[in-house]
Amino acid sequence: MARLLEVRNVAHSFRGLQVLRGVNLEVGRGHIVGLIGPNGAGKSTLFNIVSGFLVPDQGQVMFDGVDISARSVPQRSRAGLVRTFQTPQVFAHLSVAENLIAGCYKHTDSGVLANLLGTSRSRAELRRMHEEAYSVCERFGLAGVRDQPAGKLPAGQQRLVELARAVIGKPRLLCLDEPSSGLNTEEVNQLMTFLEKLAADDITILLVSHDMDLVAVASEIHVLCFGEIIARGALSQIQGDARVREAYLGV
Amino acid sequence: MAARTRIVIGSSNAGRLIRVWMPALALIALWVSVPAFASRGLIDILVFAAIYAIAGVGVSFLLGQCGIVSLAQSVFFGIGAYATAYGTTHFGWPAPAGFAIGIGVSAVIAFAVGWPVLRLSGYFLALATLALAMIGQVLFLEWDWLTGGTLGIGGIPPLSAFGFGLNSPKRFYYLIWPVVVVVLWLHANLLGSRNGFAMRAMRDAPAAASVLGVDTHVLKVKIFVLSAVLGSLAGSLFAHYASFVSVDSFTVERAISFLLLAVLGGTRTIVGPVLGALFVTAMPPLLSSRFGEISALLFAICLIAAVMLLPEGFGGALKAALRGRGRH
Repeated sequence: MARLLEVRNVAHSFRGLQVLRGVNLEVGRGHIVGLIGPNGAGKSTLFNIVSGFLVPDQGQVMFDGVDISARSVPQRSRAGLVRTFQTPQVFAHLSVAENLIAGCYKHTDSGVLANLLGTSRSRAELRRMHEEAYSVCERFGLAGVRDQPAGKLPAGQQRLVELARAVIGKPRLLCLDEPSSGLNTEEVNQLMTFLEKLAADDITILLVSHDMDLVAVASEIHVLCFGEIIARGALSQIQGDARVREAYLGV
Repeated sequence: MAARTRIVIGSSNAGRLIRVWMPALALIALWVSVPAFASRGLIDILVFAAIYAIAGVGVSFLLGQCGIVSLAQSVFFGIGAYATAYGTTHFGWPAPAGFAIGIGVSAVIAFAVGWPVLRLSGYFLALATLALAMIGQVLFLEWDWLTGGTLGIGGIPPLSAFGFGLNSPKRFYYLIWPVVVVVLWLHANLLGSRNGFAMRAMRDAPAAASVLGVDTHVLKVKIFVLSAVLGSLAGSLFAHYASFVSVDSFTVERAISFLLLAVLGGTRTIVGPVLGALFVTAMPPLLSSRFGEISALLFAICLIAAVMLLPEGFGGALKAALRGRGRH
């Protein structure tokens, strides 16, 4: 399997509390990989390290064979590594379409001066961004709320906006943090269909979730417990693993 | 069907004519005719309001579009004013050179100060910019070899355009308002662009904006520099209009009044700073002429009432009213 993301021996502590202990994780290109674990297992810390919000005490994050451990969040984003958040972070005062337009930022390049002067290139770029935003709105079933402020939408639609905004940026690796949180069953099913479509479009997905139904879309699952990966494999293997059962059920 | 479509398009064009062009033409007619009936005092107020609006636009888009509270605009206003005052009176520079030096110095200082300071946020950032305003005020006073201290710099020549001296309030009035319109046009262009959307994204959810590839710190610094450039431009215009500058015009109170006009006008609208500047400049003399000693108290009451009744500012209220009218 060609690796797109490789986390090598990552360790991290907060004020002496060891949260991650030499974690290794691989995500193959075009795959959906799940990361599960009980509360306090270190999932969010690992996610923040992968996306660049935290610098690990030790270890490396390799993206497409390049060490990106020292790169900032925007640099990682421009390389194709994009994440969503556990609580959806929409741009509340912008409309849904404008959220998506903002998502086109890294694929456009006009400067502040050109934008101020409203040069023909700047205007053409804006037209392209609008067209792309409208088309992605259609694709994600958001056309009906396109002009509504994103902050006024229900939680489920805000999640979709966040996902659509990430997708419009043409990510190579999409890291989703608890994407089903706050969604009803129907919305979770819709989300699973979206994720499968995205993977078919060659977008690699790393999925952190408590929701075992959602994690079922992953071809491989890593189980994190007390800062260590205790198991990895397909869902059926994971479900049968004694250490996983102990970690989740205490049996 | 085709006939029906034509009718709809026709009525849409007529609607646009009534909604957009008629008010615009009325405003232009008003702008042209004001000097014919207005007193010198009123023209003075309109000129100063325009100058403050230009500086206020810089404060307004920092606050409304980027979420950055800046109390440092008085410093850049002062730099612009002193650069052209000193250059034109001591070295005999043409005014554009004074403007350019003021803008250049302001941009460099805004970059040098903004780079570290804009890593702060919220109250800490506001306090840091307040400190900058206080330092500026002290330096404008202490560096009297450059600024003239409390005595200031007098005899600043009036601006001229195409050999036509702008040496009267009426003539300056006809220059300054088109400059305001150009500044608002630039502001509107920026807001509806790639970087405009990035600014607003950064304001609403900075972490999410950085995930989209926006280097929020760099963008903040760029916009801070742009705001300083507007402050400097306004300061240079102020110096040539007043023909005299002293430290009294560049105090912390001036910085607060720029922030005040931005908030009163509505920081999320394009015309907000203009409305705010008109209010902040016109109300004190108007109240003073009618109510004498208690005018300051009345102005304070007006400010509180305006902030409480119009949380989105005059611009926000105007926008809501126009939107409401458009629906009916």
